[in-house]
Amino acid sequence: MQPDTTADALPRGNRLGHLIAQNIGLILAGAILLIAIVGFIVIYGIEQQRLPGNFELTSTVNSAVPLVFAAVGQCFVVLTKGIDLSVGGVVDLANAMAAVTMGKSLASALGWSVVILLVGAACGLVNGLLVALGRLQPIVVTLGTLSIYQGLAIRVLPEPGGMIPPAFTNFLVNPNAPYALIFIVVLALAWSAFRRSRAGVDLYAIGNDEAAARALGVNILRTKIIAYMLDGTLAAAAGLFLAASATAGDATTGNSYTLSSIVAVVLGGVSLFGGRGSAIGAIAGALITTLIVNILFFGHVNPLFQSFYEGVFLLIAVVVGGVIGGTIRRRPK
Amino acid sequence: MPAVPAVAAIAAQSVSKSFGGVKALVGASIAISPGSVHALVGENGAGKSTLIKILGGRITPDAGGVTIEGEPAHSGIAASRRYGIGTVFQELTLLPFMTVAENLLLGREPRGRFGLIDRAAMPEVAERELAALGITHIDPRALTADIALAERQIIEIARVILAKPRILLLDEPTSALVEREVAWLFGQIRALRDGGTAIVFTSHRWGEIAAVADRITIFRNGTDVGCFDTIGEDEAITLMTGRQLEALFPVRTPAPDNPPVLTLRGVAGEGIAPLDLALSPGEILGIGGLAGHGHRSLFFGLFGAPGFSQGEIKQNGRTLRIRSPRDAIRAGIALVPEDRKSEGLFLPLKIRDNLTLPILARLSQFGAIRRGAERALVDDTIAQLAIRTPSPAQPVGVLSGGNQQKVLLGRWLLTKARILLLYDVTRGVDVATKHEIYDLVAKLAREGYAILFYSSDAEELAHLCHRVLVMRRGAFVADLPGVGLTAEAIVSAAMRESAHAA
Amino acid sequence: MNGFRSMAAESRRVVYAIAAAVALFLLGQAVHPGFLGLASVESILVIASFVGLVAAGQCFVILIGGIDLSVPWVLNAGAIVLTTTSLGLESRAPIAIVAALVMGVVIGAINGAGVAIFGIPAVVMTLAMNGIIEGLVLGFTGGFTCSACSSYAPPFVQALAHDSLFGIPDALLLWLVVIVLVTLALNITRFGRATYALGNNPRAAVLAGIDARGMTIMLYAASGFFAALAGILLVGFGGQASLGMGDPYLFTSIAAVVIGGVNILGGRGHYLGVAAGAISLTVLVSVLLALNMPDYVRSIAYGVVILGLLLAYGRERET
Repeated sequence: MQPDTTADALPRGNRLGHLIAQNIGLILAGAILLIAIVGFIVIYGIEQQRLPGNFELTSTVNSAVPLVFAAVGQCFVVLTKGIDLSVGGVVDLANAMAAVTMGKSLASALGWSVVILLVGAACGLVNGLLVALGRLQPIVVTLGTLSIYQGLAIRVLPEPGGMIPPAFTNFLVNPNAPYALIFIVVLALAWSAFRRSRAGVDLYAIGNDEAAARALGVNILRTKIIAYMLDGTLAAAAGLFLAASATAGDATTGNSYTLSSIVAVVLGGVSLFGGRGSAIGAIAGALITTLIVNILFFGHVNPLFQSFYEGVFLLIAVVVGGVIGGTIRRRPK
Repeated sequence: MPAVPAVAAIAAQSVSKSFGGVKALVGASIAISPGSVHALVGENGAGKSTLIKILGGRITPDAGGVTIEGEPAHSGIAASRRYGIGTVFQELTLLPFMTVAENLLLGREPRGRFGLIDRAAMPEVAERELAALGITHIDPRALTADIALAERQIIEIARVILAKPRILLLDEPTSALVEREVAWLFGQIRALRDGGTAIVFTSHRWGEIAAVADRITIFRNGTDVGCFDTIGEDEAITLMTGRQLEALFPVRTPAPDNPPVLTLRGVAGEGIAPLDLALSPGEILGIGGLAGHGHRSLFFGLFGAPGFSQGEIKQNGRTLRIRSPRDAIRAGIALVPEDRKSEGLFLPLKIRDNLTLPILARLSQFGAIRRGAERALVDDTIAQLAIRTPSPAQPVGVLSGGNQQKVLLGRWLLTKARILLLYDVTRGVDVATKHEIYDLVAKLAREGYAILFYSSDAEELAHLCHRVLVMRRGAFVADLPGVGLTAEAIVSAAMRESAHAA
Repeated sequence: MNGFRSMAAESRRVVYAIAAAVALFLLGQAVHPGFLGLASVESILVIASFVGLVAAGQCFVILIGGIDLSVPWVLNAGAIVLTTTSLGLESRAPIAIVAALVMGVVIGAINGAGVAIFGIPAVVMTLAMNGIIEGLVLGFTGGFTCSACSSYAPPFVQALAHDSLFGIPDALLLWLVVIVLVTLALNITRFGRATYALGNNPRAAVLAGIDARGMTIMLYAASGFFAALAGILLVGFGGQASLGMGDPYLFTSIAAVVIGGVNILGGRGHYLGVAAGAISLTVLVSVLLALNMPDYVRSIAYGVVILGLLLAYGRERET
């Protein structure tokens, strides 16, 4: 430590060093994703005596999209130092509404999709208002609204069923080619635009230190409401993808997305303490989570043990990631 | 001296403010002319920071009001921005996991294509703006969490200056800065003043005030007690403290001639070079020097939070291993930290709970606390230290700063520790309580306690300690005997760069 | 009223939580006469005791600013360990009960170690642990298809959940004992003082000589213990262990803690309030059931009541 650096220009820490140290969470997430992809290809190759092809890629991407959207939604809230337990409820609600409303034509499906996304935004708005205006803790607020949104979902679709037009399924999660990758890319681009907007900067400022952000003139109320509304909208999008994949609705299949979106965000290097991480990481985290399931499947691991391995993997990733991240940050620059 | 125009740039009229029953300001007034530097001086707890927060629109006064160019002003962050008020608070408001550039440009980021923020350009813009202010040694690409405290303070100041404020409020902006950086700041202040900005400035260093202030208002116990163009230090201190400087401190007893109870040999930790030190019973050993030069590592290392990375600690000749605060407490060492709110007290908990936490083992039978015995001890401590509270069941958070500090001292006296590490214990404490704490420290020393005493206030060190070791860059650079010691001698030993740098 | 005003905020919240429970009982009586009958109240309180036990552990953990998301599968594992170890035999009941409780304590302690020693966020640690236990239980029982899995709880355990002593159901008596013990532990022991100190200001607690790691491990272990205990009682209540029987207890236990007036960020609150919270939530469900409300109304009402109670008194300024 040099407490009294003098006015002479000092040698700068090199740019690459800063880039690595400041994005270590993202880099680690990328590395884990790479390992997961390679692991998947190897295990698949050993088991099937060939490399995974279009079909495997398509099914992997299609099964990952709902979680990708839910995880990016969760990421917005986690960046503000919050957490959203109601993600699963919003996914359920969107899923149920889609199955009930869409009818047979693509046009009606798309029209209702917009409505459903708006409903998701409204769910987020309620969360955001309760957190930002009601001064309640996010975990408690979203615990309450989770119950409400789940109830609404069951009201909309009491029994699994309903229908999704095949054209809509082909549009969102085409079973023949990994077109759904486009949605992931669009999401990533939209994120990078958001990151460069007023709200994007303010989001990070709040997550870093809410009191300081307020003192610096950041509009806490507006920014938090934006974060929760984007979260709700993306959770609703996840519900649409889920419904399109299943070609029917079920008001409870979305429940697991609450916890798996948190897992994805953590694996993606987003700090649960706010202000650090990015949606790109959350996307990587969601893809990792999906790939792990595939690896376990093709590795002929007893599916009953699946959550055991997922849990162990999550812990290892967090501990090892924490150790590596800590070492790199402490390294003198 | 510029002539005082009829209308002040910003003024406060008879403002009062209380926090939880503690009066921070009582009918205080001040008027600052455009194009002048106005220093606020007073003890810690005299109300300067509260006044600055009121002027900056962060706090609404309970009574009285603020005017800007004669017009009543609105409170609030947005309003103060509109008025062109820039404030540097004591507590830094930098965002730790954002880069220096992001912090500096927050709210006015350069825009690129599609009106989006041009993140790639930010480091260069920041670098240019910093260079224009003469700052070339801080890397705009670094995270603020990773730069030194002094650098953070400079960035905080730079951010406010860059907004070209018409009114600039600086609350102890130099607390972490060294001479050269202070000179830089004063250059900036003079340039802004010459451009017509009204500047309010607080500092604990008299030399700085004399160097830069056009007018000086003295605060005591939450109100202004005098406003001067020039005033001598002694007279100012008499006004600030309400008594002669000498009367504030207890009569110094001669340094004891005991064998040391605690010796450190070659201890090192984060930011401190291998250090040797010996502390005797009955001795008040002062540790001085500017903030950020390793005092904290020394005190907290000795208390095992975290312990030293190397070196040897001996107590009465026996080697001590201190790896956690529990080890230290077992060895009869107590630490009273400077930041009592975050490191000492449990504000919502009762005074009783705060006092007895480390000694509950002694007060318990089969894990259950013997309430009668606890009650007796607590009442006794409250009486002995004259802690002003209606009941030991009060949450500590409602007490005044001085009484809070006494609770913390009381906690450690109850542990029967014989070695006291007092780390800037009079910070944010009112004068009367300060006086009581000085008396208490002197009395404890007479009773044979060994006391290691760090203070950011050199005056305190000079008058209270038997001996003062001055730290600089993690090493002891001067060993000054207490008799006849002056604050100036300590400060100049701490600042003298020639010995090491040049 | 003056006395009430001068109470500490968290004590006042205990009063609010109890008032809410009483109000819900009265509401039940109003919409469904007979609701306040002895048998009805007893059965509601027995069901509340399961929530209350899980919430006791959750309360400990939340008091130090943590959270335990592993509750569902620790509870489920407690139940299945009990039945598979005892095979329904009375003679094996003691060993089975001990085995289930020890398992709960060990899992909880591992949670605590992960949080305190490895610095893993509590949400991540306990979420992962929930998955790990789920996988292990499902894997080793073949998805509850093993021959021992269909064993019933030993008669002693069933009696514990169904019989009465002096006219009070055993399960309720057990909960009363837990309420007394937990309240005493938090209020008059070193353990309690250290818990509140850690929850209020972990840094200051460590500097005051509190063994933060030991305490954290102990408190998470307590949470594991109570989840396993609830599993034992539930399997006694229902006879057999079933897949997913712990799932409803995760959010319910957190909700009980929160509407019981415990600050979710730690440091403040009393178990008495949590017990009242557990009763409130159970009464609420019973009222809606008595009204023949469909599932979805229950779910929505549940959320609305939690939020309503929190908005009513959860934000009160600390004095």
